[in-house]
Amino acid sequence: MLRLTVSRALNGAKSSPTCLSVASRYQSDQKKPDKIEVFIDDKPVLVEPGTTVLQAAAMVGVEIPRFCYHERLAVAGNCRMCLVEVEKSPKPVAACAMPVMKGWRVKTDSEMTRKAREGIMEFLLVNHPLDCPICDQGGECDLQDQSMAFGSDRSRFTDIDFSGKRAVEDKDIGPLVKTIMTRCIHCTRCIRFASEVAGINDLGTTGRGNDMQVGTYIEKLFMSELSGNIIDLCPVGALTSKPYSFTARPWEIRKVDSIDVLDAVGSNIIVSTRTGEVMRIVPRVNEEINEEWLADKSRFAYDGLKRQRLVTPMLRDNNGDLNPVDWEAALITVAKVVKHAGNSIGAIAGGFADAEALIALKDLLNRLGSEHLCTERTFPLDGSGTDLRSSYLLNNKIAAVEEADLVLLVGTNPRFEAPLLNARLRKAWVHNETDVALIGPQVDLTYHYEHLGDDPNVLRKINEGDHEFADKLKRAKKPLIIIGAELLERKDGGALLSTVQNLSTKLNSNEDWKVLNVLHKVASQVAALDIGYNPGIDKIKSADLKVLYLLGADGDHINKEDLPKDCFVIYQGHHGDRGAAIADAVLPGAAYTEKQATYVNTEGRAQQTLVAVSPPGRAREDWKIIRALSEIVGAKLPYDNLNQIRDRLDEIAPHLTRYGNAESANYFKQAAELSKKTESAIDCKPIDVKIKELQDYYMTDSISRASPTMAKCVQAVLKQKQSACN
Amino acid sequence: MAKYFGVDKIFAFLRTIKETGGIRASLYKIYRFDNLRPGTLVGTDKFGNKYFENPHYFYGRNRWVEYAPKYGMDYDGSQVPAEWFGWLHYKTDYLPTNDPTRPKYEWMAEHTENMSGTPGQFMPYSTTTPKIQAWVPPKN
Repeated sequence: MLRLTVSRALNGAKSSPTCLSVASRYQSDQKKPDKIEVFIDDKPVLVEPGTTVLQAAAMVGVEIPRFCYHERLAVAGNCRMCLVEVEKSPKPVAACAMPVMKGWRVKTDSEMTRKAREGIMEFLLVNHPLDCPICDQGGECDLQDQSMAFGSDRSRFTDIDFSGKRAVEDKDIGPLVKTIMTRCIHCTRCIRFASEVAGINDLGTTGRGNDMQVGTYIEKLFMSELSGNIIDLCPVGALTSKPYSFTARPWEIRKVDSIDVLDAVGSNIIVSTRTGEVMRIVPRVNEEINEEWLADKSRFAYDGLKRQRLVTPMLRDNNGDLNPVDWEAALITVAKVVKHAGNSIGAIAGGFADAEALIALKDLLNRLGSEHLCTERTFPLDGSGTDLRSSYLLNNKIAAVEEADLVLLVGTNPRFEAPLLNARLRKAWVHNETDVALIGPQVDLTYHYEHLGDDPNVLRKINEGDHEFADKLKRAKKPLIIIGAELLERKDGGALLSTVQNLSTKLNSNEDWKVLNVLHKVASQVAALDIGYNPGIDKIKSADLKVLYLLGADGDHINKEDLPKDCFVIYQGHHGDRGAAIADAVLPGAAYTEKQATYVNTEGRAQQTLVAVSPPGRAREDWKIIRALSEIVGAKLPYDNLNQIRDRLDEIAPHLTRYGNAESANYFKQAAELSKKTESAIDCKPIDVKIKELQDYYMTDSISRASPTMAKCVQAVLKQKQSACN
Repeated sequence: MAKYFGVDKIFAFLRTIKETGGIRASLYKIYRFDNLRPGTLVGTDKFGNKYFENPHYFYGRNRWVEYAPKYGMDYDGSQVPAEWFGWLHYKTDYLPTNDPTRPKYEWMAEHTENMSGTPGQFMPYSTTTPKIQAWVPPKN
């Protein structure tokens, strides 16, 4: 943890000083005053005025120990661990809170500094239990590390009258975060995170001095979709993960960098595995996407990867029961049916489909002469449809949301559809005075917004200019319109999108600022549209299909009644869910932790997951299954390994293999012009979103539906909502 | 005289064929056991395996078993029951039928051959819960 922050601060300092901290970002717009020179351990460094001693020290690579200071949170300055000596100052100063003055000579390793640290360490340890051997934080604990580095080599603590150390009652704040409050050192990081980032003012302190306690005042659930982050923030073992408790030690786990697919944000994660099992998921720093936070569903739904799994191919027998078979039998049966069907075969791609599987399936079906390739989620096809990428991307990128001065949310609840985007919006609202307005049902977004009602015609009025909000939008220097993909699934989605497209061309947009943003709900959608899938399954319903191939389609969009009676349904995926239940043949695929696969997030950023554990049982990587099937069908696909299939991806859309890079879209004007041809009009049906409250957030897809932890969360939230002290 | 010229070997050979039950049976025995030798039948176990002895051969080759016809070519050493094992491997010279030291208890289990590679083989099982719980499709 400690080393991480140094390197981050150093990199930040090298690339641009503005991204160093919140504090210095305020000044980026104003005329920059002259830099001032200070000396850290006699090393000169030029810094902006207002920089703290701690930041200045980080610039020259001097690490000052800290507990309460966190660069993404407000400065508290209450742990005193960062005390350093400043020449000619009679007392040591707290480096995290003290801005540097011209010509200061800071000594971070002097006798006085070391003595101050040792003293602080001793005070902290007087009331900290020595239970490191049974503490989940053991091995990755800041207190452990820093007491080794800066603490005294002996203790003066002798409990002469056996009164014991300070003991604090544990709090129950829900099924995700375990609290062992005796270990708390009162750094207040969790409190600051809750009130600043998560926007939940439940956590606070009671009592003072030795009797101070961190808690929720009355026992209640910590009702936030970002609650897991306080586990990472806690420098000691006071807040640990409940599902992970006592399961693994940090030195015995293998860490694999990967991408989260449970929402369309594409948060970067680290998958920790041991003995071929995913033990936990923690966030990986990516300033452009998730900073260092992670939403609770992405963090805790991993136990869903161990339940309800498809581990063997299955075929439906004459009694209508699915029976396990081996791959050979399954593939031969499926191939026979596919061959027999000719070109009346269709495919539906679900929310977890990776780009490799999508392209393999598309190539296979095209070779068989079929064009019935659809995604589960609908998108309006009026005007330019999905031909121009600009109409279906979050064009302005996630990080740039912070710079907006006016955000209009249409038919979306970003708090639960993309919690990390909402955290950005909240950050902008807190630090950048961004105004937010919402058209849609009134929901709690954790920050104040102007509610423009849930009538879709408000959008039309704004576009035509006879709504008071229209002026506001026009005046805004950096306006942003974020439209939910769920809204566009309505019958009048085309008209709504066209209105927003036209509205956004009228607003202040240029090369670097794009007003139109679409927020998707599933991880596969952008890649599928990029590759050329048709959005929505209407085409499948109308075509008289003999074979339907479901690639992880569990969204309950299609059922047996929609299909012809003799239609043979093949389900390929990793969970026994809605799709597998209606299938005649089940081919077990790999989940996102089990394959090296490409996903494109809602802003059009291609990222790849890496293999953390092997697929269970006879399950295989998805594109390999389709490749094997193609050979038996007799339409052999021309790729044998990952590199070759990625070359194929590269052929179709080069951005799909440029990992980490978000390819911007263009042709906004043209898309808006084309959309004017849209004939349908906006209905009066009020705008609605599916996920309105926290209990709806946890179980939305096949992985989280299989997760016991997520089920517990739903129960806990429902219980909390019923209780009197809500 | 015949012995001097080795003609008795021919007689012994012909006698062996006769004892075995003719040319066809002899060829079959050679096919099954790669061997054809004269010997005294000293006993038969309950599985039908026949035990022979011929002191004419040297120690180590003078006792042998001919597996019961029901095994065909699928015979192996584990089909010799424990009581005959001792005699066959020169642990004892008593035949199981007249061995005074051999205890007999009611709880002694029936001899079974090695079941490895067959459906009856021993399979160790894990007592830990599986890491992955598979989906069980609903039955109609």
